[in-house]
Amino acid sequence: MVNSNMNTLGIIFPNSYDLFVPDLVNVRLMASIPFASRYRLIDFTLSSMANSGIDTVSVVVNNNYQSLIDHLGSGRSWDLVRKNGGLNIFPPFADKASKPYVGRAGALANILDFLQNQKKKYVLLANSNIAANIDFKAMVDAHVASGADITMAYHTQEIPEGFLKAKDSTKGYYYTLRIDNGRVTKIFVNPKDTGIQNFCMNILIVDRELLINLVTEASLLGQEFLERDVLIPQLGKLNVQGYKYDGYVATISSIKTYFEENMRLLDDYNQDALFSGSPIYTKVRDDSPTRYIEGAKAQNVMVADGCLIEGEVENSILFRGVKVEKGAKVKNCILMQDTVVEKGADIEYLITDKNVTVTAGKEMKGTETYPVYIAKFHTV
Amino acid sequence: MAKEMIAMLLAGGQGSRLYALTQKLAKPAVPFGGKYRIIDFPLSNCVNSGIDTVGILTQYQPLVLNEYIGNGQPWDLDRLYGGVHVLPPYQKASGSDWYKGTANAIYQNISFIERYDPEYVIILSGDQICKQDYSDFLRFHKEKGAEFSVAVMEVPWDEASRFGLMVTDEYDRITEFQEKPKNPKSNLASMGIYIFNWDILKKYLEEDEQDPNSENDFGNNIIPNLLRDGRRMYAYHFSGYWKDVGTISSLWEANMEVLDPEHSGINLFDDDWKIYSRNSGMSGHKISASAVVEDSMITDGCRIKGTVKHSVLFAGVHVAEGAVVEDAVVMGGTVIEAGAVVRHCIVAENVTIGENAVVGAMPTGEENEVATIGAGVSIGAGATIGPKAMVSKNVKGGEEQW
Repeated sequence: MVNSNMNTLGIIFPNSYDLFVPDLVNVRLMASIPFASRYRLIDFTLSSMANSGIDTVSVVVNNNYQSLIDHLGSGRSWDLVRKNGGLNIFPPFADKASKPYVGRAGALANILDFLQNQKKKYVLLANSNIAANIDFKAMVDAHVASGADITMAYHTQEIPEGFLKAKDSTKGYYYTLRIDNGRVTKIFVNPKDTGIQNFCMNILIVDRELLINLVTEASLLGQEFLERDVLIPQLGKLNVQGYKYDGYVATISSIKTYFEENMRLLDDYNQDALFSGSPIYTKVRDDSPTRYIEGAKAQNVMVADGCLIEGEVENSILFRGVKVEKGAKVKNCILMQDTVVEKGADIEYLITDKNVTVTAGKEMKGTETYPVYIAKFHTV
Repeated sequence: MAKEMIAMLLAGGQGSRLYALTQKLAKPAVPFGGKYRIIDFPLSNCVNSGIDTVGILTQYQPLVLNEYIGNGQPWDLDRLYGGVHVLPPYQKASGSDWYKGTANAIYQNISFIERYDPEYVIILSGDQICKQDYSDFLRFHKEKGAEFSVAVMEVPWDEASRFGLMVTDEYDRITEFQEKPKNPKSNLASMGIYIFNWDILKKYLEEDEQDPNSENDFGNNIIPNLLRDGRRMYAYHFSGYWKDVGTISSLWEANMEVLDPEHSGINLFDDDWKIYSRNSGMSGHKISASAVVEDSMITDGCRIKGTVKHSVLFAGVHVAEGAVVEDAVVMGGTVIEAGAVVRHCIVAENVTIGENAVVGAMPTGEENEVATIGAGVSIGAGATIGPKAMVSKNVKGGEEQW
């Protein structure tokens, strides 16, 4: 593999769309939400970058980021401990010149010095509310081949339900694109259109020098949002190309879509689509394999290591270290790390956060359209 | 700065009695317990005991082992000073030599040990499944004022003659050593784990090297010489789980014992003494609606659509619909196709077992044979592999091998 010379700097915004999943980000941010039995959402973008030969990745955090710092550590799990580059995390208010920000342009304005000191020619910007196994090298190649100033990735799909149903448009902006001969000719902000759209994945590649100019100008004008405030007015002037991504994408936009996107992976076809490309890395926990005792019953489940299954589990996603005791029944649930379902408990359509205990004999049921969420460390 | 104690791990063993499993890898690299390799046990014991410097002596088929150990990071043994070092035999100004015996392997690495100027050296074996706190062993060694200590297990008297036995006085001082004697005077079997004062070990290694008739072996030469000279030698009693997995049946048995930690005493689910390993990086395992999984251990990357009972499956094993896996150890990446029946056997890594093939059988009567399929082998559709078979070459569809 000699694509190590990708000439691209990766930047991830881990707080993107936090407000769409208020329960899940109570003790964390979007990027560190557990997903698909053993991962955090950021693992997908971070692994995709590392697998594509991007060896310098910056994570620009805004708030609630302790869980993310703990998860990322030195970046070793993603092979991002490098003498030149590697993983670096930018906390907010790093110096006197920094100011609070809400959008990408604002966030980038705070790290302008860093951007200026980099040597990579391109910058890849991404959020972390999607799980996808993306070959960014192909996207960078397309960017270079087209001679574009900016390349935006999109996926043809319906607008995720959480975005469509949001009444408050200031929770965060999402975009769809009009593409003419590959070029982005219009960007729609928070459209409510139904049916298949060119849904913007918020992944874009831009020449670093151009990005510095755009962000500097935006900063002077007090503009916060890169797409809404900077790109839309300049679409005529800049050559912005669309890049159609055809792979599997899970977009988290509400607690309901979080539930559905997890459950969708119980279908082998979807699981293969997401995982059969390059490996997705995560923080290693050194759990033992999962143990199923005699009399245990497991059907249609995705389970991480370190679990102990004594009861019945069906149509569920179990994260690392979950215990389901004898006689307990778990159906259509997402049980995050170290959840304990005690003897004889009977639960359905539940999302339990880390270290939740459902005590013996308790019965608790949500519904498919409204799964019940139990916060971290709570005992039911 | 001097280290108090460093570990030297003997990992050169060929493991010839594991036949098909050790064709291409050394015994310490043999997979065990769903996501581990045998060497994970002594390495994890070291780091959990506070030993941060480990020399691994390799000789036979070291490729897999070398890659697996890498920089030692999975065991937290990537250290600035110390850490894990793989030590193969090497060429010196005065010539080169394979490791002639266990003692010679250490002798050839005296200069490695001296870099750390240790007070004590613990000699470990890379082919045992055991969770042991070496710091407690060292505490014993120091309390007794010993120059040499050996970890011993009580074994049943009728089996004692299969082991190297330590005869001790009431203060645990060793008075005699019997190697596989016909008439055992003791039932304290050596586990092959020794702590030496480094100055003593060095002296005896150098002396042993000068003896042209020596086999350069700890059990046969070094220990008898220490006894001859009346050195302060003590036996440290260990009572936890310990198993030499040198044979197919003992390896199979130890894997099965992992499934029953309540009775067997080997608990891999214990958070207080974790066994570390290199991670497969695969996604969570998947159990389909058509599957039955009971009394088994399943890890990342597995896809189960058939029936799995009382078995240990390693990372990335696929069991298709209608297939039955029972009392089996199935190593990483192996695919068991629809309708195949796999029982009472060890299947190594990346094997394909074709549709409706039959591998192994539940034992009838006294015999407890374990069928074994070597790594990368392909068993054709409808083939039959008998319960005593040792398969290291592809078997065509419909054929039989007994």
